Amino acid sequence: MRSVRTLFILGSSLGLVTMLACKKPEPTPEPPPPVIVKTEPTPTEVKTPTVDSTNPADMSAAKYAEFQKAASLALKDINFDFDRSDIRDVDKPKLQAIASFMKSFGSARVMIEGHCDERGTVEYNLALGERRAVTAQNYLAGLGVNRDRLGTISYGKEKPKVMGQNEESYLINRRDEFKLQN
Amino acid sequence: MRRTLLGKFGKCFLAGGLSFLGVWAQAQSKPSGQSAPPKAGSQTEVTVDARQGKLGVGMPDPVLAGLDAANVAPNFTDVLRRDLEDAGPFALLKDKLPTSVAASTVKPWLDAGAEWVLALKVTKNGEAVTVALQVLDVKATAQGDGKQLRYAFSKNYTGNASLLRRIAHTLADDLVDRLTGDRGIANTRIVFVRQMAPGIKELFQVDRDGANPIELTRYGSLTLSPTVAPDGRLAYVTYKGGSPEIWGQKRPGSTHERLYPNAAAGTQGSCYAPVWSPDGKRLAFSQSDRRGNSDIVVLDVQSGRVRKLTDGGFINTSPSWNPAGTQIAFTSDREGGPQIYLMEEDGSNVRRLTVEGSYNESPAWSPNGAMIAYVSRFEGKFDLFIFKLGEGKAYQITTGVASSESPAWSPDERRLVFSSNRGGSMQIWTTDLSGNSVKRLSEFSYCQSAKWTRSR
Repeated sequence: MRSVRTLFILGSSLGLVTMLACKKPEPTPEPPPPVIVKTEPTPTEVKTPTVDSTNPADMSAAKYAEFQKAASLALKDINFDFDRSDIRDVDKPKLQAIASFMKSFGSARVMIEGHCDERGTVEYNLALGERRAVTAQNYLAGLGVNRDRLGTISYGKEKPKVMGQNEESYLINRRDEFKLQN
Repeated sequence: MRRTLLGKFGKCFLAGGLSFLGVWAQAQSKPSGQSAPPKAGSQTEVTVDARQGKLGVGMPDPVLAGLDAANVAPNFTDVLRRDLEDAGPFALLKDKLPTSVAASTVKPWLDAGAEWVLALKVTKNGEAVTVALQVLDVKATAQGDGKQLRYAFSKNYTGNASLLRRIAHTLADDLVDRLTGDRGIANTRIVFVRQMAPGIKELFQVDRDGANPIELTRYGSLTLSPTVAPDGRLAYVTYKGGSPEIWGQKRPGSTHERLYPNAAAGTQGSCYAPVWSPDGKRLAFSQSDRRGNSDIVVLDVQSGRVRKLTDGGFINTSPSWNPAGTQIAFTSDREGGPQIYLMEEDGSNVRRLTVEGSYNESPAWSPNGAMIAYVSRFEGKFDLFIFKLGEGKAYQITTGVASSESPAWSPDERRLVFSSNRGGSMQIWTTDLSGNSVKRLSEFSYCQSAKWTRSR
């Protein structure tokens, strides 16, 4: 049974997420190697055994709206270099924000979608998208998010975000998207 | 023509026309045992001339009985003319030609360069239609008394009037068989993926000439990578259940069902790039693991058992069987970028095939086993190449005008079908092996991953 967070804590974690998502990237330590991670949030003073306010199914309408807002602020795309699947330094704060969001909402589940730009073949890009999704999953697991809450799927180059045959469009399309599953 | 390449890959590239002629020399020099037995009165001589060894063919408009010319032209005459032009061994004559086949027109046909003239009569009886074909042997007739017409080949075709188009294809294939002993491809289909809306792709098929489009799936989802078994059964990847799975047919004409993951499969991973084995019993495909790598596995479709062939902690995808079903070509990034490798069907004896370039993908083993077509990135563009196994050399087929992807062989091994954005959006095109004869298959936009089959 998970502990309950007050609206105050919800609000403050939302603020943290916002801050992380908005402030300039600062050096972020490499995540530790994947370990078995406890998903229990830090106990707080207020506890009730019956309702989990971090579970969207148990949230009030207002809290659910907060949850959605926090998700939309935290779940930003990360991008990749051509034919690469390693996390770029510039994207590490985004992954930190996603990890913070997922720790704040202990029942949130996220599907990580790996995508590629239009260059290259259908099949190889599907395999590359798989790599990109799993790389982010590993990184978030390293930041303490339970792997079971992070699904992965590849769409290769089949679902470009923008049309356009230039490096700017290609970079936008070489991405992981983080989709809330709740 | 391929100047930019000659500098870098010098020895590997020949002028395009040579390989084209090479293919025909091969066709003409086939052992007679494999050719159609010569029939009485057939003395056609094949002359090599300015038409690159093609046989000059005249085809006046058919004589019609009980049919409207406005109906016959688009459904028969135009279809047959295009089939003959596309077939390869024929040069269809066009200018200043006689409009009939008679003793008086033998000399004009001869002067026009015709070796064969197709005399066609199309007759309608109720719902049935009969096409009577007589192939005038111009030289044999001219060498006689000039009055006695000599025919190389005669045949009647009867069917429902709605089948005129099919009759034209069959007739064209008969002419190819008659001349070369090879099976023609007029009566073939091309299966491909077509985007219906962003993120929604379905399988389609069209006739080889782009006619008769048929929607094969309607999942409202992402459906990719079709493969066609020798008996016409489909298999493909679809995301209709959320994650990519292998779906297809266990029996000819049966409903489509999930083939993998199945109940016997303990672990589950995303599945991509299925391809039927030449015997139609197995599917090779790529399955991802939890580390983001992918391996080539082979599924025995009836038993549901799978066998993993690669285990290297790398990307392994895009399998393609040799025609004997004893070897598999595939792509792997085990040495850095994607390169094409070969292995035995049990996964042993892995060896690298491609050595030039940093991105080689989508191997497609040719129907006769001597060539592997693939995609290579060269000077920032993706182009089709052919690796000739006997020579150990690669030849470039398409040249840098746009992206060219997903090559698949025509059943007669004379052309490749592929997807390219050379016309703007991705469409399906075909090319001969010289790269000089590139044709768009249909007007459909946002298409990819074509396969060419006799069996549908």
